[in-house]
Amino acid sequence: MRLLPRLAAYRGRRYLALGCLWAAGQLLLFATGLILQQVFNDATAGHPAYSTSLSLLAVLAPARIVLAAIYWGAMVYWPAWFDAVGGWIRANLLASILVAPGPPSERMPATTGEAVSRFRDDVEDLGRYPDIAVGVVGSLLFAVASVAVMFRIDALMTAAVALPLVGVLIATHVLSSLIRAYHRRMREQGAAVTGFIGEMFAGVLVLKTAGAVDRALGRFRERNARRATAAVRAQLATDLMSTLGGVSPGLTTGLILLLAASGMRERTFTVGDLALFTTYAANLSSLPWLLGRLMFQRREASVAVERLGRLMPDRNPEAVLAEGPVYLGGDPPPAPPAARTPELRLRTLEVRGLTAIHPSSDAGVRDLDLRLGRGELLVVTGPIGAGKTTLLRALVGLVPRQGGSIRWNGRSLTDPGEVLVPPQVAYVGQAPALTSAALEENIRLGWESPQASLRSALEAAQLSEDVGRMPAGLETVVGSRGSRLSGGQVQRAAIARALVREPDLLILDDVSSALDGPTEERLWEALAGTGVAILAASHRRATLRRADRIILLERGRAVASGKLDELVERSPSFRRLWDTP
Amino acid sequence: MSIDVIGTPAGARPAGAGAWRLIAARLAPERFRLAWLALALLVSTALPLMGPQLTARFVNLALARGPLRTMALLAVAYLATQVLAQAATVVSSYLASGCAWRTTNRLREEVAGHALRLDMTFHGRHTPGEMIERVDGDLLGLATMISSFVINAVGGAMVLLGTIVLVWLVDVRIGLALTLLVAVGAGTLILSQRRAAGFADASREASARLFGSIEEWLQASEDIRANGAGRHVVRRLHERVADAFRADRRWEVWGGLVISQTELTFALGTVVMLVLGVLLLRQGTITVGTLVLLFLYAQMVQSPIEQMVNQAKELQKAGEAAGRVARLLRERSSIRDPSEALALPATGPLSLRFCDVTFAYGADPPVIRRVSLDLDAGRTLGLVGRTGSGKTTLARLALRLYDPQLGAVQLGGVDARSARLDDICRRTRLVTQEVQLFAASVRENITLFDPAVDDSRVRGALEEVGLGEWLRRMPEGLDTPLKGGGVGLSAGEEQLIALARVFVADPGLIVLDEPSSRLDPLSEARLQEATQRLLRGRTAIVIAHRLSTLAAVDEVGVLEGGILVEHGPRSELIADDGSRFARMLQGAPA
Repeated sequence: MRLLPRLAAYRGRRYLALGCLWAAGQLLLFATGLILQQVFNDATAGHPAYSTSLSLLAVLAPARIVLAAIYWGAMVYWPAWFDAVGGWIRANLLASILVAPGPPSERMPATTGEAVSRFRDDVEDLGRYPDIAVGVVGSLLFAVASVAVMFRIDALMTAAVALPLVGVLIATHVLSSLIRAYHRRMREQGAAVTGFIGEMFAGVLVLKTAGAVDRALGRFRERNARRATAAVRAQLATDLMSTLGGVSPGLTTGLILLLAASGMRERTFTVGDLALFTTYAANLSSLPWLLGRLMFQRREASVAVERLGRLMPDRNPEAVLAEGPVYLGGDPPPAPPAARTPELRLRTLEVRGLTAIHPSSDAGVRDLDLRLGRGELLVVTGPIGAGKTTLLRALVGLVPRQGGSIRWNGRSLTDPGEVLVPPQVAYVGQAPALTSAALEENIRLGWESPQASLRSALEAAQLSEDVGRMPAGLETVVGSRGSRLSGGQVQRAAIARALVREPDLLILDDVSSALDGPTEERLWEALAGTGVAILAASHRRATLRRADRIILLERGRAVASGKLDELVERSPSFRRLWDTP
Repeated sequence: MSIDVIGTPAGARPAGAGAWRLIAARLAPERFRLAWLALALLVSTALPLMGPQLTARFVNLALARGPLRTMALLAVAYLATQVLAQAATVVSSYLASGCAWRTTNRLREEVAGHALRLDMTFHGRHTPGEMIERVDGDLLGLATMISSFVINAVGGAMVLLGTIVLVWLVDVRIGLALTLLVAVGAGTLILSQRRAAGFADASREASARLFGSIEEWLQASEDIRANGAGRHVVRRLHERVADAFRADRRWEVWGGLVISQTELTFALGTVVMLVLGVLLLRQGTITVGTLVLLFLYAQMVQSPIEQMVNQAKELQKAGEAAGRVARLLRERSSIRDPSEALALPATGPLSLRFCDVTFAYGADPPVIRRVSLDLDAGRTLGLVGRTGSGKTTLARLALRLYDPQLGAVQLGGVDARSARLDDICRRTRLVTQEVQLFAASVRENITLFDPAVDDSRVRGALEEVGLGEWLRRMPEGLDTPLKGGGVGLSAGEEQLIALARVFVADPGLIVLDEPSSRLDPLSEARLQEATQRLLRGRTAIVIAHRLSTLAAVDEVGVLEGGILVEHGPRSELIADDGSRFARMLQGAPA
């Protein structure tokens, strides 16, 4: 993929404008050198050239003012392009994970932390590539013009200015991978230190009560020392490299003096030429750094786009840069509401031969059948690792299935994620997640419905009393990941979030594990009152007792199914589960 | 008994002063390195100042058609000063970063130790994430500040001072002009930077909000998707992006102004110096070489000023960080060793007694109200009650993780407040629902980093909890690393590891806090067996919210709203149909 044109073309006019501003600035800088040359030549010439020298200086002043204004304009305008590119790509990524068809589980990185760094750092890397390219184009423009001027004055000395630059370019290229290795080592050691701090404070209770605080600190000291060594080395490596780049203007000036000695005595090389050479040499000294940076950023960007591609459907890097809108004005149009289609109202859900296996392990469900009608309660039970959660997640399309058919009202579905979602189906996972927004936003998540239906959802989810006790009511900000609520409240908020969507089928994964007995009892009572069909994974007796039918899973296969008393009678495995609690 | 939180205002001390006090005391061991650092810094700043002097003499010689040899020598000298100065810069940076890291590491270990020893009321208010920020984030800022302050601010100030003095020596008027230029440049830079700082913070905050939200959405991605809320959340993303854009643009308006304004000041300053120079040249006061010298010096003052002003900003940030660290170091634990300690019985089970105990967290209403309870040595007590009834708090009072406001807790007949904390730690153990594993070996996870425990005891403990087979499967035995690239454990196995820790410690009193609530029936059965073995011959409090967990305890206590409403032998309570416990057993599926 030709990344640079693709990235530059997004909001391309803004990018072009930035490029023009930058180039204009470099041209003014070039002109400054020429003016200074004349100023010093006139000053050396003596009377009456002093006055020309002074009037040239009078021209130089406004030129510098214009230059400063151009720089300022470019900086102020820059976010209009850079933030647009970032917003565009990030919206594409988020839409892939939250909206695009097909199971998202294969697209999500292993940890959320890793996913965030994709969203932040990889997208940043993509934007930086054209950003640096603009700077390089301007600087190359300056380099061509200034080398041409210097060459006309003295070819040998131009080489003295240019060759060290090439040397620095090569040296930095060679050294940069070494430096990256040092910095990687430092980051790893840093992560070990912060990780251990986190563990010590998360485990403060066990360390304290076991009198192990001092011993843990001893371990901490070792990790600290290792990190310090790595950090000092990384710093040294970086300094050595920037010194190499930094020597060049001083070094170049020294070389110019050495080579200019005889020419200056013979007046073939003037004081003005000296001023011009040193000024241009100083400006050019950042060029190798910039070129190195461009090459580095090009590599980073192509790695980043590959990595980001893995977040997209079919792992397609092209999709990362698919055309899409961005709303820097801050008024994105509202999402279209989900329409309730009469022919999609639940009559039957039929699953045949469903197989869904984790790619990494062998766990999951195999060859599973189930059937559910309006208003029924079907409970899937079995020991941990039997495949209950995988079954439910495959049904709502969160993980892929390797085989089997899912029929909704008799119609076979390729992607259950398109039909087994609100308003037909709502799903409450095992460990529901909230975001730090207000409680109402957390429950609605953009779902438009009258306040009365929100109230009845809260009522049924056994959350009304809790909300009543909160001083800010539904406006209560629930804290990051719902941390200001208790575990039971988070779970009931998630149930309310599902119920407000008024689904025909509710899929509940072990939701009562954080609820106490009486609350759980009232919840099931209320759910029964709504007439919603329920598919629940649970090993709680209160749930099993209410089931119209139970499916017992063991190692991913259905080993028995039927009503509670039938199973107690017929299945020894079920009796074991029922008796152990 | 409430404790001040870290957020207490610092008072109106100048920014940075706190940082220096905190650091100065801990820099002492670095004396000799600091002396070398000063020398390196002097070399790296003094040598570049010679550059323009050499150039000026070179130009004058050339114009006077002086000897070529001398000119060449001047050029070589120029080269040598440049190379040496750069080498000195690298050395000083190396020395400075070493000093900075060692100093902040000492402070980091001190802060971590201090914070870990604070009482649980403190830890209840501060998350591990926050503590990482205090112990590492803030001190990381200090380390950068120390090293870059020395290099940039001190080094920059030396260059600046040297340049000004040298120009004053050339001509008083031009010296005055340069001094004015520096003053105006620095002044405007400081003013507009102060203006810009708020916008920079706002821009960083907007970006932090954007990525914080993204993190939450990703965390909740399945919930969002399965609730058909994807498009709504993408719309929210666009809103956050727009917020960040507005903040970025406002920041660029001011931040850009700072940069271009500085450029402008020094560009115009150079023009002014040259104009003055040419005027003096016309008078015949100075030579062309001196004009070149003035030009070069005018260009040398810009970057030190920028560096110093940037440092001022860093210094302020570091001052804030140091303030937070200093406040943390001022925190005092309310749980302290007594001045004269009584010893707990050294071996055997400990008896436990609550005498009319009342306890509240800070200024909140009491969560334990007038609880009196006797538990003979070697007996086990099951605590039941709804969430929030005070079970956990009561059990933690027994370990002196808190002190009661009224009444007393006695361990082995000794008031817990009269016993040494080490002594209590040695004789008691706590097992919680959340098992914290460390990125360390299996052995260290069991012994909690105690090298004195020999391997046979560790193996024995693992056998006792039923992890013997598991250990034999470990590739490196007891040295196998857990977590962080090591072996992952199931929730049940983690619980068993926690029990093995207790077996190794062989305590006289154990508190088991809801150890089985997240387990499936089969893992729970395995845990039950290990627990029974562990509790044999020891005093214990067992908290469980499933009544079946309490099948083997000797006594049962029922808590309601912090009041011990019922307490007696389990068998008696079961036999009494009117008892709360018996009613609970009937009501719940047992």
